[in-house]
Amino acid sequence: MTVLARLDEAKAARQQKPLITFNGATLRLGGKTIIENLDLEVRPGEFLCIVGASGCGKTTALRLAAGLYRPTGGAVTFDGQPMLEPRREVAIVFQDYGKALLPWRTAAGNISLALEACGIPVRERPDRIAELLRKVGLPAHAEKYPAEMSGGMQQRLQIARCLAQEPTTLLMDEPFGALDAMTRQGLQDEVLSLTAASNTTVVFVTHDLDEAIYLGDRVIGLLPHPGRIGIELDVNLPRPRDQLATREHPEFLRLRRQLFDFIKATEH
Amino acid sequence: MIWRIASFAVAAGFVGLWQLIANLKLISPVFLPGPDRAWAALMRGFATGDLTSKLVGTLEHMAYGWLAASVAGIALGALIGSSRLMRIYIAPSLEFLRPLPVSAIIPVAIAMLGLTQGMALFVIAFGAIWPIMLATIHGFAAVEPRLYEVARALQMSRPAIVFKIALPSALPDILAGMRLSLTVALILSVVCEVLAGLDGLGHWVLLSARAFRSADLFAGVILLGATGYVTSIAMSLAERRLLAWQSTR
Ligand SMILES: Nc1ncnc2c1ncn2[C@@H]1O[C@H](COP(=O)(O)OP(=O)(O)OP(=O)(O)O)[C@@H](O)[C@H]1O
Ligand SMILES: [Mg+2]
Repeated sequence: MTVLARLDEAKAARQQKPLITFNGATLRLGGKTIIENLDLEVRPGEFLCIVGASGCGKTTALRLAAGLYRPTGGAVTFDGQPMLEPRREVAIVFQDYGKALLPWRTAAGNISLALEACGIPVRERPDRIAELLRKVGLPAHAEKYPAEMSGGMQQRLQIARCLAQEPTTLLMDEPFGALDAMTRQGLQDEVLSLTAASNTTVVFVTHDLDEAIYLGDRVIGLLPHPGRIGIELDVNLPRPRDQLATREHPEFLRLRRQLFDFIKATEH
Repeated sequence: MIWRIASFAVAAGFVGLWQLIANLKLISPVFLPGPDRAWAALMRGFATGDLTSKLVGTLEHMAYGWLAASVAGIALGALIGSSRLMRIYIAPSLEFLRPLPVSAIIPVAIAMLGLTQGMALFVIAFGAIWPIMLATIHGFAAVEPRLYEVARALQMSRPAIVFKIALPSALPDILAGMRLSLTVALILSVVCEVLAGLDGLGHWVLLSARAFRSADLFAGVILLGATGYVTSIAMSLAERRLLAWQSTR
């Protein structure tokens, strides 16, 4: 695909109805305003990254999008309807994979949890589980318990469980924050190819600016106290992205510089 | 392995010492039979079937009481433990009831239910429910909150959340409570048999003592000890099977 075609596609996408909308969303918790008057639209199929200083409200914004919090003011909608409770077509990948997996179930059992919740018949489950484990690169570890797996493998397993719900949208909160650099790069590319193949919409929270630009179609930087949008950057880098070429691309370096200056200005 | 041999040697040493004291007649044989006579009485009891039926009686009391306590304790504990409000309102009452010695409610139970099996079942279950219920409350209260969010994201039903998340997560606590209750159930079975004259080892021990049949008395005591030991081992085996995932930590 040429860069031009890609741009055309992006333009077409922009005209589409947004999938997730924050409409003046405000969240007060315990007398503190954590998110204020947030306006944001996430287009179907878009890969949106959210960055910002620690404590600026990234996780809170994601939890609003997930329906784990209800806005105290304004509205958060999904597909045109208010997001009041989590829905199965929106999967959440938590940062603390160790806590989000069932330690008493094997890898296969953990994926099965999502299939059971989705009402997949028993006899269809083994094939689906094998397929999902293969997708995330864990085909030989079906019978392992999470405690027997490395951090990277556990996060892969959580992603597989999220994919098992066949989501149209993935919400990821610093999913690779606790992993080493090599594992991280591998998983970045896997998430890109998995979500591109199924045209999944992704909202990806990270504190790693390079990661945000590398992955995203668009990057949003939040300002703290209360959380609101401070910068919005379109990332017009060719896809598929490449760990070496993309990161050396002049546009990548320009965006990186811009984002870096923004973050530095928010941290006095 | 070394430990097992050592503990075996200690046990053998005690039996040897017991035999020695009996042989030297340091204590009158009317009160203290040697292990040889106790063993003979045990074998005789099994041969005639007298002791067997008493053993079965005690095992039944213990099992019914313990199972009733387990079902009620887990159900109540789950109810109380899974709601913060329930914990706040009910915990103080529990703290009041818990230290109440079970012996204090035995007269009440006898007054209400008479010297019956029903009374025994009530007393055993009442005594054995506490460790199970408190362990279950703790287990349910300590479920990782993140797992509840996972359940919400998957839109799991309430029963599914209880059976697939809360209960397995609380299982190690629950099993530990059930193990403690096992001992309580055995002790209370004997107490109820003595008080109400119900068929069982407690009753056998009481009658043997009154008739100065010390060998029979000791046979009964040995059997009670063995019952406690074997049930506790069975419980450990069950725990190890059910919590196999923990061994990989
Ligand atoms: N349940 C809550 N009650 C009160 N305040 C909260 C609650 N959750 C978060 N906060 C506050 O809201 C602010 C934003 O928190 P949030 O977790 O969204 O930040 P974050 O951007 O994800 O930070 P990090 O990069 O450290 O993960 C913080 O100041 C935090 O102390
Ligand atoms: Mg966060």
